[in-house]
Amino acid sequence: MAQTTAARFVGQRLPRKEDKRLLTGRGSYVADVSLPGMVELAFVRSQVARGKIRGIDIEAARAYPGVRAVLSAKDLDSLGAKCQILHGGMAPAPHVDLLARDNVRYVGEPIVMVIADSRYIAEDAAGLVFVDCTMEDPVITIDDARDGPPVHPDFPTNVADRNAPPENPALEAAFASAAHVVEATIRHQRQAHVPMETRGVVAARQGVDELLVHLACQSPHLSAHLLANTFNLPQANIRVIAKDVGGAFGLKVQPWREELCAVAAALLLNRPVKWIEDRMENLTSAGQAREQEIHCRLALDANARLLAADYDYACNIGAFPQGVDTNFLVEMFLPGPYHLPLYRCRNVNYYSNTVGQAAYRGPWAMESLARETMMELAARQIGITPEELRRRNLITAADQPFSMVTGAVIDRVTPRECFEAILEKVDMATFRVEQAEARKAGRYLGIGFSVYIEPTTMGFGVLSSEFAHIRVDPTGAIIANMGTHSQGHGTATTMAQVIADELGVEYDRVTVHEDDSSRGAFGAGAGGSRQAVAGGGAAIKASALLAAKIKTIAGHMLNANPEMISMQGGRITVEGEPEVSTTLERIAATAYADPDRLPPGMEPGLEAQYRFRSPMFVFSNAAHACICEVDGETGITRVLRWIAAEDCGVMINPSIVEGQIAGGVVQAIGGVLSEEISYDAMGNPTAVTFKDYVIPSAHDVPQIEYIHLVTPSTSDGGFKGVGEGGAIVGPPALVNAVADALAPFGGRCYDLPLTPSRLLAIIDGGEG
Amino acid sequence: MKPAPFDYVRAESIPHALEALAGAGADADGDASILAGGQTLMPLLALRMATPSVIIDINRIEALAGVSRVAGHNGSGATRIGATTRQNHVLANELVKAHVPALAKATAFVGHHQTRNRGTLGGSVSLGEPAAEYPAIALTLDAVIEAHSSEGIRRIDALDFYLGAYSTALLPDELVVAVEYPDWPADSVTIVHEVTRRAGDFALVGLICQLAIAEGKVSRAAIGWFGMGATPMRSLAAEKALKGVSLGDIDPRAVAELAISETEPLEDKHATAHYRRSVGTKLFTRLLSAAVAERQKP
Repeated sequence: MAQTTAARFVGQRLPRKEDKRLLTGRGSYVADVSLPGMVELAFVRSQVARGKIRGIDIEAARAYPGVRAVLSAKDLDSLGAKCQILHGGMAPAPHVDLLARDNVRYVGEPIVMVIADSRYIAEDAAGLVFVDCTMEDPVITIDDARDGPPVHPDFPTNVADRNAPPENPALEAAFASAAHVVEATIRHQRQAHVPMETRGVVAARQGVDELLVHLACQSPHLSAHLLANTFNLPQANIRVIAKDVGGAFGLKVQPWREELCAVAAALLLNRPVKWIEDRMENLTSAGQAREQEIHCRLALDANARLLAADYDYACNIGAFPQGVDTNFLVEMFLPGPYHLPLYRCRNVNYYSNTVGQAAYRGPWAMESLARETMMELAARQIGITPEELRRRNLITAADQPFSMVTGAVIDRVTPRECFEAILEKVDMATFRVEQAEARKAGRYLGIGFSVYIEPTTMGFGVLSSEFAHIRVDPTGAIIANMGTHSQGHGTATTMAQVIADELGVEYDRVTVHEDDSSRGAFGAGAGGSRQAVAGGGAAIKASALLAAKIKTIAGHMLNANPEMISMQGGRITVEGEPEVSTTLERIAATAYADPDRLPPGMEPGLEAQYRFRSPMFVFSNAAHACICEVDGETGITRVLRWIAAEDCGVMINPSIVEGQIAGGVVQAIGGVLSEEISYDAMGNPTAVTFKDYVIPSAHDVPQIEYIHLVTPSTSDGGFKGVGEGGAIVGPPALVNAVADALAPFGGRCYDLPLTPSRLLAIIDGGEG
Repeated sequence: MKPAPFDYVRAESIPHALEALAGAGADADGDASILAGGQTLMPLLALRMATPSVIIDINRIEALAGVSRVAGHNGSGATRIGATTRQNHVLANELVKAHVPALAKATAFVGHHQTRNRGTLGGSVSLGEPAAEYPAIALTLDAVIEAHSSEGIRRIDALDFYLGAYSTALLPDELVVAVEYPDWPADSVTIVHEVTRRAGDFALVGLICQLAIAEGKVSRAAIGWFGMGATPMRSLAAEKALKGVSLGDIDPRAVAELAISETEPLEDKHATAHYRRSVGTKLFTRLLSAAVAERQKP
């Protein structure tokens, strides 16, 4: 059979199709959308974390010139909107109104919508609304939540979801007799997603019962689906458009209270309504993440082999979570790529009077942070190198497929190979000499490692499948409508690379549309590091169907066996008869405009579609190394080197793979060193601008060094996911590097972020 | 994040600006803000943390920008910098480099290149941000702040200018027109340093020290801090202790500890008070030791 799918574009660092418009200021984001008659929305938000609303005075706001409407909870009742909490478990969840009705449960909770001719006027009038609200002692921290009064009055405690496996005598026995027992508590602060583009929506009622929604989201199709559920409207009536989106990281999986409020206002007012979240709103009322505490115990035998691990994990998920730092995946992957015979993980999610969580890139990242931090602590305690400890415990190719103690079966992963690759790149012997010399000069260098396995693709629930409709249009251009979506992922590029190879056409000829729920069909877009596998699989399968049709037509036109047809660079030839050829343009022209010349009975046109069933998990893996310097005078940490060796299978576009890793690593650096959403005791947020929410700048990030290992997956194309890895495996590499740097002081810091104050306390303490 | 309504006056001259300021004051609800570079005011407006009734834009007043040499106290010279002189102009100015080296060094720490193109010297001095460089430099170098109003001209010593957090001696109808920095001997020792988590951030700890040396002894000392209290801080006792001491007899650690004891650092999200004291002491000890050693080289 003729070969049509030699990889010409897959694997190449092609410039992104999106970049020309994005880099020349021609992108189209929600804030760029303006519709005739459009009005703008500002929220009146709660200034107390916990209280009862006694009354709302909106008269002055309603009378303010330019105000179109002032709406509170009861005004939305006629819509019957249902907003669904996701707290990570199966337990019943409290009801959530779009606007607070009787109780307020966090500072920033929306209470009143003010809709006016401009955002300026809306904010003026919002300042005139008076909310009479009682003030009760709030539940802010995990400790508060354990013993405090329930955040949701209809629930007896603040436990949203709990998993408490029974006592395991074998595990306790292992700890009792182990040569080494290592214990620590790790606390991860709360973080914000901080997409460069905040949330935003322009919603307009059209016709009788149709909705047009421009939305900063992670999938137009999934958003339309969720809007249909929320407002009990037929999904066919809802069109969601998201041409360009500037980052999401899990925050924009589902339209949440504020976006839903804008849609509700558009339905009620019969006018297009725009809401663009400002940065202060983003930092104080958009979904947040992390805020976890995990107690860890490892038992190791005299040869430093793992015997047992025991974790107790708690997470503060806020008042109304829309997706959480998933505890079931934390639990499933905590054992990581190591031999571990005995294991237990208890976990609990607590409600609190804080902003609800939304899944943040690598929502289960605590599994890597806890395990990899403990591995290096164990090495220090036992007195062997972290390299040696990992070598004694890591699984190898010979162990695979490998059944984790949690039941997950992992295969085609290379944690040991990635780890050895970074060690070779680092040159440990040389580094240890440099480190010793530096310490003599009062400079504190440290190196840290981390190794992990990442479940990608997540082929369950709404992520179960992905869709591609691909056609050759009458001019010979290839147009794909896909359920993928880019908030910076470059899927219009990667999917075009896949399709171009499968169809044997030039990359420039392929255009991918993924911005409009009225095109194509359902697909869940970005989430769960799924798009290379799920989108790539759909693209390959649909392309194959389309290629088969092209070959059948070509065989018919050229009087050749379709199996002997070869497609390359848009030219269609017969194997062994180079003088006989046609072009895709001619076949397209025939298929659409001269269908009588098609094989008898063939459907005219040139198009195919395929819905790809995503695998449940496709495992990718990586090992990272970080070298940092902690300034002994100031406690400030500088990241000097970062080396990432990853295996994400066949890379569609290595530049995009590296971009994904880099983005995650930057978020890791911010998360470990400086970013922190914090509240005072009364639940007032204390990081409300970028002055206080400290994200890394370009100066704070080194040139990341990449090593690519390629072990193809068994899924079509051999792809694996890579979207979240840097944010998962990155943090422990840096935490471990700081611990190594501070080794001379004998202290350790597992309370994130590792601020200068915290590190200097260790340095000063160690000096004393 | 949209400003509340305000009136806007583009002042064409200093008298025009003063007239507008006086006019705002005459109105019962009047509350004027001066718009210079806008690097602080614009975000405050957007956050509605500032809601002035009128904004007086002084950017077009040519007489307010520029650096010149003037006569100072006691027959010595001084360097006069107009209020709307952009920070990047201060950074590049040869007169500043030659006569107010501490200011030149400090300016390199002010914000970012892009913000320095807009930000002005007078804006920063009159705002009095306690963690910013310019108020502390003015305080430490005994600068004179020249304020005009429709009532006349006041020359305010920087020592009397900073009253509390973001609170200054400037009256509501006054406009800072220029800041004058009296000359120090050309061979003075100048130390300016700050500790930040990211380049361009406000200082966690900021330090200024200037020593005039005559015949191997400290003839005059000035020590100031930023980020070390509710206002820019001055360590007058440490200055006094240094005066007349031979370079060889300076105990940098003791000087640093005394100087730090005169600061009142606060705890905030970015650092504890203990951190600021500890880092300030170590930083000053190290920099003073190095500067003294450098000066003692044959």
